Amino acid sequence: MKKLFLVILSITFVFGLSACGDTTEEEWDTSSSISVYTRDTTSGTRAGFMGGIGFDEAKEDDGVLVDGFVIKDNTGIFSTMQTDEFGIGYISMATLTDDVKGLAFNGVEPTIANTMANEYELKRPFNYVTRALDDYASDTEKNITLAFVAFMKTLDGSDIITNQGAIPLESTQTWDEIKADYPVCEQDNSGVTIKFGGSDSIEKIAKALTESFAPKCGNFVPEHDHTGSSDGFKRTQGEEKDGDNYKHIGFASRPFKDSEAGAEGTQGQLANDAIVAIVHKSNPLNGVTAEELVKIYSGEITTWDELLD
Amino acid sequence: MTEIKKQITRFKKKFNFNSKKEVIDFLVRTFFLLSTILSASFIVIIIIFIAQKGVIPFVTDNDGIGRVNLWKFLTGLDWLKGTAFKSNLYGVGFIIINTLYISFFALLISMPIGVLTALFIAKIAPKKIAEFLRTVVELLAAVPSIVYGLFGSGLILTLVYNLAKIFGVQSKGGNSVLAVILVLALMILPTITALSEVAIRSVNKDIEHGSLALGATRTQTNFKVVLSSAKSGIFSAAILGLGRALGEATAVSLVAGNARSGPSLAFFEITSTLTSTMLQGLKETIGIDYDIRFSVGLVLMVVILFSNLTLNFIKKKVGNVDVK
Repeated sequence: MKKLFLVILSITFVFGLSACGDTTEEEWDTSSSISVYTRDTTSGTRAGFMGGIGFDEAKEDDGVLVDGFVIKDNTGIFSTMQTDEFGIGYISMATLTDDVKGLAFNGVEPTIANTMANEYELKRPFNYVTRALDDYASDTEKNITLAFVAFMKTLDGSDIITNQGAIPLESTQTWDEIKADYPVCEQDNSGVTIKFGGSDSIEKIAKALTESFAPKCGNFVPEHDHTGSSDGFKRTQGEEKDGDNYKHIGFASRPFKDSEAGAEGTQGQLANDAIVAIVHKSNPLNGVTAEELVKIYSGEITTWDELLD
Repeated sequence: MTEIKKQITRFKKKFNFNSKKEVIDFLVRTFFLLSTILSASFIVIIIIFIAQKGVIPFVTDNDGIGRVNLWKFLTGLDWLKGTAFKSNLYGVGFIIINTLYISFFALLISMPIGVLTALFIAKIAPKKIAEFLRTVVELLAAVPSIVYGLFGSGLILTLVYNLAKIFGVQSKGGNSVLAVILVLALMILPTITALSEVAIRSVNKDIEHGSLALGATRTQTNFKVVLSSAKSGIFSAAILGLGRALGEATAVSLVAGNARSGPSLAFFEITSTLTSTMLQGLKETIGIDYDIRFSVGLVLMVVILFSNLTLNFIKKKVGNVDVK
């Protein structure tokens, strides 16, 4: 039994010791290896990040990443980067605060202003596509769709987009200023259903937008069915546009492909989702390039001094 | 009216009922039986549901991706080789090892602490203190796992990170085998304490008195007589504790680091368990990547079943002493 007590005693002792082991300001050891943090393969942020740095094969494949990478969610990466001095991860710009250090990407500071000015490149566009103008079941549906597109680009729309964590494009007008151009919103539209689909990364934003816009436009009924970016074009102007799953407005959280070029004036961007590479505050590194990030995530660079000299 | 009475008499005769009371008794018993069947059938329903989903990856071609090889799945050392949604090369072999390894150490830490606490509460502490401590333990047992998870990711991660530094190891923000072990040990401690305490309290007083009368001291009696008499109950506590450790998902996934290959045996290495793997991306994923999580669930149920059977076997071997 003595042994048992000894074991317990030593466990308590070890914990006591670790509590004392405070992180005093020691020299930041540049020879430390880089701890790589990532989101899991189902994450849209991961797809945006890997695509943004030009490491497309890592979007949905863990095998190409450096050995020993850690998988965490957005908040998990953010909070771990407050502890792990030698870690690197990436988060949505909406999460970024002073508790961690956001790295400049290709020389541009990660700020909302820089993103809106189109200078910060580590981002993915949130795009929309509507049906071709002559392809609506009724004029009312067409006009509500057009009014919704206009609403997304107003100040009211940008506020909602900002609240959902994305970065809107610059806008100057409020909905009240332009609503006279959309007389369809004056009438009662409670019998009209407008269908939204496409990217599920934009689902939250789209839902918030319709929730706010429906009462402003005759209480039309928004129907959301977000199944992925490729369905955005497919179900509005592509092969499924006349199928059961047709949509009035589709979204894509990536640029439209060449094969997805639609009728003129039916496609556009509503926001940007900016992603920031972050490190611990004590890390002397201030910026990275896309190539460096690819090297870090693929395991070509494994220690900090390879980046810092 | 007479017709109905006749009916009732016939009914009574048929089932050998002599009075109205017996009829009521019969009805109540039937009601109890039904509710037992209902609650017991849930386990069957759950197993059928999980199994139905869980076998899909092994029996269908998963929309052209191809069948998952069961043997490779059970022995694989990489969670997924190749691109998600396009590959069928899943493996959980290393995760099974991780899960058992972690649970074993969690049990190793919390068993002695829990049993000694139980002994103190049941035999040594003054009545009022014991009463108070019992409430504390019960409260701890009722704390939901997400709270332990937040505690773990807030405090234990930093603790482990600094501990690793003292040992000269660079851990990944504290996400490690050790962090999971500590969180799990904390979580199962109240379960083990509460159950052990009941087991210790139900040891027959006569045995204790006998030991004291023979000249053994209190401490000798407590350790050599009381504890060994309560063995069986303490083992039951271990079985329940282990079940909780094996099945915990939320708290674990917050501190494990979710390694995608392994097994992870070093204490400061990142790791993953069956449950954390199931949870990771569960809400975002589709197709084979979704169904395979049910297969992992099936594996987990089998692992739990086997570890419980093993512990039960040991419990029988260890034997039983006269308890009330």
